[in-house]
Amino acid sequence: MSIQELYALLPLEILGIGSMVMLLAGAFFPSVGKKALNFSGAAITLSAGLVATFYSPAVPEAGHMIGFSGFSLFFTALSCFAAFITLLISAGYSERRPLGEEEYPSLVLFAAFGMAFLSSSTSLLGIFVGLESMTLALYILIASNKADPLSGEAGVKYLVVGAVSTAFFAFGLSLVYFDTGTLSVTAAMQAMTHTGKMSPVGLVGWAMLLVGIGFKVSLAPFHLWAPDVYEGGPAPVIAFLSTGSKAAVFAAFLRLTLASSSGWGSLVPVLWTVAVLTMAYGNIAALTQDNVKRLLAYSSIAQMGYVLVALIAAPGSGGTSAVFYLLAFVAMDLAAFGVIASFSGKDGDIGGIDGLRGLGYVYPFRSAALALAFFSLAGLPPTAGFIAKFGVFYAAVKSGYVYLAVIGIATAIISVYYYLKVVVYLYMRPADSSKVVPLAMTAIPRPDPAGHFALAVLMAAIIALGILPGGMLDLIAGFMARPLI
Amino acid sequence: MQYALTCMVFLPVAFAVPVLFIRDDALVRWVALVATAAELLLGTMLFFTFAQAGHSGKWLLVEDHAWIAQLGIRYSLGMDGISLLLVVLSALLFVMSVIVSWRSVKERVPLFHFMLLLMETGVLGVFLSTDLFLFYLFWEVMLIPMFFIIGIWGHGRRVYSAVKFFIYTVTGSLLMLLGIIGLYIVHGRQTGIYTFALDALAATNVEPSTGLWLFAAFLVGFAVKVPVFPLHAWLPDAHTDAPTAGSVILAGIMLKTGTYGLLRIGFPLLPYAALSFLPVIFMVGLVGVFYASWVAFAQSDMKRLVAYSSISHLALVVIGIAAWNELSLAGSVLQMVNHGITTGALFIMVGMLDERAHTREMAAFGGLWAKAPAMSAFFLLFILSSLGLPGLNNFAGEFLIFVGLFREHPVIAAAAFAGVVWTLAYLLRLAQKVLFGPVTDTGALAGEFPDLTAREYAVVVPLAVLVIAIGLYPSMLLRPLDAPIQGLIVIVKVASAGTGGLAP
Repeated sequence: MSIQELYALLPLEILGIGSMVMLLAGAFFPSVGKKALNFSGAAITLSAGLVATFYSPAVPEAGHMIGFSGFSLFFTALSCFAAFITLLISAGYSERRPLGEEEYPSLVLFAAFGMAFLSSSTSLLGIFVGLESMTLALYILIASNKADPLSGEAGVKYLVVGAVSTAFFAFGLSLVYFDTGTLSVTAAMQAMTHTGKMSPVGLVGWAMLLVGIGFKVSLAPFHLWAPDVYEGGPAPVIAFLSTGSKAAVFAAFLRLTLASSSGWGSLVPVLWTVAVLTMAYGNIAALTQDNVKRLLAYSSIAQMGYVLVALIAAPGSGGTSAVFYLLAFVAMDLAAFGVIASFSGKDGDIGGIDGLRGLGYVYPFRSAALALAFFSLAGLPPTAGFIAKFGVFYAAVKSGYVYLAVIGIATAIISVYYYLKVVVYLYMRPADSSKVVPLAMTAIPRPDPAGHFALAVLMAAIIALGILPGGMLDLIAGFMARPLI
Repeated sequence: MQYALTCMVFLPVAFAVPVLFIRDDALVRWVALVATAAELLLGTMLFFTFAQAGHSGKWLLVEDHAWIAQLGIRYSLGMDGISLLLVVLSALLFVMSVIVSWRSVKERVPLFHFMLLLMETGVLGVFLSTDLFLFYLFWEVMLIPMFFIIGIWGHGRRVYSAVKFFIYTVTGSLLMLLGIIGLYIVHGRQTGIYTFALDALAATNVEPSTGLWLFAAFLVGFAVKVPVFPLHAWLPDAHTDAPTAGSVILAGIMLKTGTYGLLRIGFPLLPYAALSFLPVIFMVGLVGVFYASWVAFAQSDMKRLVAYSSISHLALVVIGIAAWNELSLAGSVLQMVNHGITTGALFIMVGMLDERAHTREMAAFGGLWAKAPAMSAFFLLFILSSLGLPGLNNFAGEFLIFVGLFREHPVIAAAAFAGVVWTLAYLLRLAQKVLFGPVTDTGALAGEFPDLTAREYAVVVPLAVLVIAIGLYPSMLLRPLDAPIQGLIVIVKVASAGTGGLAP
């Protein structure tokens, strides 16, 4: 490995080594507080993200494993951003709820490393390694609240489902390798699809890969784990799981898709059906949820359906839309979970939607952030979510999937209802004055500066991407137009 | 002058943000009043600069900047005579809304005025955008504050009404978004230039079968907002439960965004498809005129009655637009302004009665004239204006619509005229039940009932002056409409020339 390759790998090195350093730091300096640990972790992710954004690697690829195209660096930076915000949110949260000591930031860094690895990998093997390092860290993170049985239950559920999906994924990869004889993503996908028709082995391989991916990003009908895991896991971890891990898996999915040629089209009927099921099921099931975290679980299922719509249109022009949607989703879902984490007190995460009653007037900043995140998730302007949805439907119609766009719009209309429901509780249902002390008020923790800073960043991002998305769209379209390597 | 339109659109929101952080309620009200009054001043200045000069060009003022280059989206605003009138109307009604909320909105005052000012930006943006994407953005931006205004400061089943309002309009607008995307792509494929500019899109040669679907999408989006029967179900609830300022803006301005959309976007962009839809539009328009009048007659709640009267009045405006000739279009635009003034005023009057008597049931009133003669006189004036008494504003608009309509579609004109007669029935019933008769001991007027205060005079006098002035001298408003209406008619004629023309 040349020195140039080592330099090019700098963001990954910062994350990986940072993770180890954090782990050791806890052992050598046991008196360091949780807050300081989380902040150091945040600083490490921030530096990794900044490096990924601004440096220019001299080599296009390292070890036939990791690519440094604009696409890879974008998703590396996005993973770092998600981890950064997660750690900032965790700083206050971990003072109230036991999230583990130094291993917590260390594992978040390691998961971010896995995400960056997964989305940058140009080899089938690398994709598997990235996926596993990310998921392993998440298994532990979800169960990291040892005092809470729900957290443990969520961890076990995710572990079982994750193990099954990993098995599918690994088997799919090996079938693809068997079919093509190469581990390079580009070469393998080309070999499978260039004749315009996939071989039976290749199709079975892709089907296995789709099952694995479907579990990881919770596409229907592989979504069943999501509501329980979202409900049980600690809010900051779920924020990270819901945004970073899904964005990274989708990045790999996009890479596989865009490396293929015409033969990939034989997957479209399956993906079409999965997208419709996901959008419809996610949005309809969310209608009846009374628990905010479960509601967000179904919402994020549905949101992934929209990304899938853009991905189906990716061979046309949907690639940019899919990447922009993922970016917007990361910002708005982190904001939603960030507020949930900030509202969650000692006794557990805020659960019933009833707990949000009238909070809009007691905690205006956090409530405004939550409302903004929900308006954005619902796809209303002037937020990032609107530009993202617009891009998805535009890409779908442009590539000829008009029915898919119509179904997408119809499900988006359904979704408005449950997103509004949360806003209604925040602002239009005052706390019950018949109770002497409203329960919610006493349990809501005081604001913490780091969490508020994170929310302010996210709100700014949601609005900026909604009003002036031009620069970001240019950037994304720019690197999508080049080979993703 | 270069940035006059941007200033108009964003001035309210520039005030809205600081308003949110002011702790003193009285100061908030004054700041909001200054902001809306400045807006009205700007609007009036533009009106006097342009209205009388007889400009021949299509646009009086334009602004155009690159925005989202990747998708060919531009930030382009343009003002012609039509948008000029609607902008001034909006600016006026927002001032009135701040004044009528002076006493009636007591809770969460900063948030209320924040929403009001944010909505003003949205509404003005809708009337001034000449880029379809920008239009859609403002279209949705004006919804969200209205949702909060009904849901937080409303009465009765306010949350139900707010959510119903929002779901209905969002459904319509998302379908419209699909139409916008479709037209954008059809145009892009044809010319290779992807753009949302209205003028460019109007030149698209849309295949008839596609055009029908696209127009249907636009039609639903606008019809929900107007609202055209049978998509009107949200309106009575939203109006009844909204605070007075909310009702004034909803009826006075928001409903016009629907008819404005048909006029500016629906018909010019897809004239051939619009032609095929004419029977449907006329039919729902006629049904709307009759049905809404009939239901209005059955109401006992004054606010609901005025709400239903809006549906019936707006149905006539839609019929006038569908007739698509110089007279009926001028009449429709004039009628949009008139309806804004008159119905806004009626909601304000009902709000004043409600504030004093804490009921809006007609049965509780009677003999108001004896108790509060000034208030009653203004109420009667606005009722007479609403039913189209010659010499008052509505007469001029309705007359033009009927003359234009009669020329092309005499049967429809006759039917619509019969419908308007019904208007007399419920409005005279309103006047008779509330204003005349004896004061009952058990009714709302039994105790002390103060007449108009100075603040209330400040609201109703300008509106009354406008009612009479427009009634006597409508050409004041019609003159700026000449050029843009000619332009619209030419666009539609040229575009549909190859297909037999719009007029049969």
